[in-house]
Amino acid sequence: MKRFFAISFIILFFIFSLSSGQIKKGGTLTIGVDQEVVGLDPNIVTAFSSFRRIDLLYNKLVKYDENLNIVPDLAISWKIPDNLTYIFYLRKGIKFHNGRELTAEDVKYTLERILDPKTGSPGRSYIEPISSIEIVDKYTVKIKLSTPLASLLSGLASNNCAIVPKEEIEKYGNLQRNVVGTGPFKLAEWVPDNYMRLVRNPDYFEKGLPYLDEVIFRVIPEQTSLLAGLKSGALDMATINDGSVILQAKKDSNLVVMQKPGINVRTYGFNTTRKPFDDIRVRQAIALAIDRDEIVSTAEFGMALPSGPIPASVKRWAKSVKLLPLSRPNIKKAKELLAQAGYPDGFSFKIVCSPTYEGGISVAQVIQNQLKKIGLKPELEVLEWGIYIDRWRKRDFDSMVELRGGDPDPDRFLYRILHSKGAVNNFLFKDEEVDKLLEEGRKLTKYEERKPIYDKLQALISEKAPVIFLYVPYETQILRPYVKGFKQVGNGALYYLTNTWIEK
Amino acid sequence: MGRYILKRLISIIPVLFGVSILVFFLVRLIPGSALELFLGTQVEATPEQMEELKRIFGEDKPIPILYFEWLSRIIKGDFGYSLRTSRPILPDILHRLPLSLELTLFSLFFSIIIGIPLGILSSLKQNPIIDILIRLIGLLGLSLPQFWLATLFVILFSSFEGLIPMGNFIPFSKNPLLNIKMLFLPSLAIGLGLGAVVMRFTRNSILEVLQMDYIKTAKAKGLSQRVVLFKHALRNALLPVVTILGFNAGYLLGGAIVIEEVFALPGMGRLALYAIFQRDYPLLQGIVLIISFLFVLINLSTDILYAFIDPRIRYE
Repeated sequence: MKRFFAISFIILFFIFSLSSGQIKKGGTLTIGVDQEVVGLDPNIVTAFSSFRRIDLLYNKLVKYDENLNIVPDLAISWKIPDNLTYIFYLRKGIKFHNGRELTAEDVKYTLERILDPKTGSPGRSYIEPISSIEIVDKYTVKIKLSTPLASLLSGLASNNCAIVPKEEIEKYGNLQRNVVGTGPFKLAEWVPDNYMRLVRNPDYFEKGLPYLDEVIFRVIPEQTSLLAGLKSGALDMATINDGSVILQAKKDSNLVVMQKPGINVRTYGFNTTRKPFDDIRVRQAIALAIDRDEIVSTAEFGMALPSGPIPASVKRWAKSVKLLPLSRPNIKKAKELLAQAGYPDGFSFKIVCSPTYEGGISVAQVIQNQLKKIGLKPELEVLEWGIYIDRWRKRDFDSMVELRGGDPDPDRFLYRILHSKGAVNNFLFKDEEVDKLLEEGRKLTKYEERKPIYDKLQALISEKAPVIFLYVPYETQILRPYVKGFKQVGNGALYYLTNTWIEK
Repeated sequence: MGRYILKRLISIIPVLFGVSILVFFLVRLIPGSALELFLGTQVEATPEQMEELKRIFGEDKPIPILYFEWLSRIIKGDFGYSLRTSRPILPDILHRLPLSLELTLFSLFFSIIIGIPLGILSSLKQNPIIDILIRLIGLLGLSLPQFWLATLFVILFSSFEGLIPMGNFIPFSKNPLLNIKMLFLPSLAIGLGLGAVVMRFTRNSILEVLQMDYIKTAKAKGLSQRVVLFKHALRNALLPVVTILGFNAGYLLGGAIVIEEVFALPGMGRLALYAIFQRDYPLLQGIVLIISFLFVLINLSTDILYAFIDPRIRYE
């Protein structure tokens, strides 16, 4: 009997101690970010900063969880009877912020809006093969494709494919300044370049969520000022990218630094139609001269994960970069290849980069030094961001450091950048074998069937080296210790703020 | 005087017309476009989609035609919509103007209360140590970059409640006290540098005036040094200082970009900076027009101020 009491006491104690650390409802979370949004219409915007607000204001049919698996969002489940048909079953009783229920009509309307070229939606290319959208009943939608597209779910998980209400688009023309979503928070107040206040949506479809009453975004462009805001308590959380500032934050015991390898990939690519980069041996020599570890430790303060063609953070698909061809530096072999290509004494060329983080100037500096070791004479061409983009669009460069927006699905990531008809293949790379494998991978929807194809592709792309995939930078969020329950997805998404509470 | 002011006001129109041509064509000389920046390096667009986007971004017509379309709208007072945020331009600019005005005024205030007394003190050369000290302060004020000073302020004072805005700027109309508190450090950061300039001008100008014959006369009459300095010398010596302050007021209105960035103040400078980064032509054109307008107005007020400082100056 004594023992029974003792055990039940321990159990009770456990329950209490758990509940004392339990979720607390209410309160305001203030988050500091360095960029203002560029409009809020989910189907139209392209800016990263806009996506981070849309995370909390709208929902997609499906979304990525913190392990980068596709999980239900508006659709509670779905079926893929064949690789041309997708059936989505919607949750019942989801309400838009204007009080109207979301139904299959809205899904059809939104997808058609995205597919309409007049909308100018970047999401169009993600779901282009959709040929028809059929409303089976109020809560069921059947999507038909004209050609198979393995990455359809990944495309639908994009914020660009968030579901919007027809009547509001008709009222406002677009939703750049007005928010009527289904998300856990509603827009309450927006003072551009100052702050945006979101309030709890009491009708949110995940019962009991969100915990917070309010989320306030504050725009503070300077990274040092963001950190100062955290230290002084003006901010509860901040998204910071500057490595040196993150290092300072790590020294502060009053701050929690959350880091996770993201899915964007730093790349160093060539215009493969320009001499001498049209010669595979030259590209391979450069690949062999590059030391990813050194780049990561020097240019990123160690806060990145070396990666191959598929973002290393997408563990389901990515092969370890160490196992891929040409991934280990080999100066001797590199010099031999250069000599074979007819450049025993190296040659001069330019590396295009930009002082913004995306433009990777510090990465370009490390690469410049590494390439000097095999006798090449690279020069940096540092461009203002607008001019950088202009040159990128015109494919006007010898070689270029970039930050590529990655994707958890290898089809969506690799097809567009390496297929000879890929829309953002600015390396002008053309290879029959790669094209064939990319097309094959796109047709299959089962993981087991697709995996061997992408294994082969990763090796092949590394060997042909039209672009050298370097690393995935960490995504960093810095929190005050009382901010609980937040999780990083890896693509920068903030929707786990829905499950976040403040323990004070 | 009244006729003079009216004449000057009317002359603003051709100035603004010239500015409109300059800004419209100059911004389009920078490589890159709003559309390219919108698409970035990640987004794909089909040719038909590109056509539609070009129309939305106003790149579908020749630039001279676009200019006349824009001009005819501006004359009607329609500044159009920002390409970046699709918000109407005029309200956004007017919303930020009070902050920039305040920042300008406070910075001028600091520069005057720092610069003029120190300038006078140093021009008297009473004590070589004080003189060296003041000149040192002047040199520091001139050579310490604003961004460094501003960052230092942010790091030093971020733990003091309300001194640093932190993306929570409070307009004067909402809470004047808190507003002034928040603008204290940013204005000081600008005022210190500008104060050094004012100090040097005041010092040199006074030294020059003190050599004048009428000062010698005043001294010979047996007037006290204070009367000579404040009544006879200072008034004349202040003319170049007023000119400098007027110029700087114009620049500051256009935006203390660095200060606004570091202190996260939503002023005109940041609006203009991002408009340039994003090649947001309509917004940038609107900002430049309005700032030029204010610049001309400030120049006019400086000229009028001359007449008050030096009654010999008359405009007819």
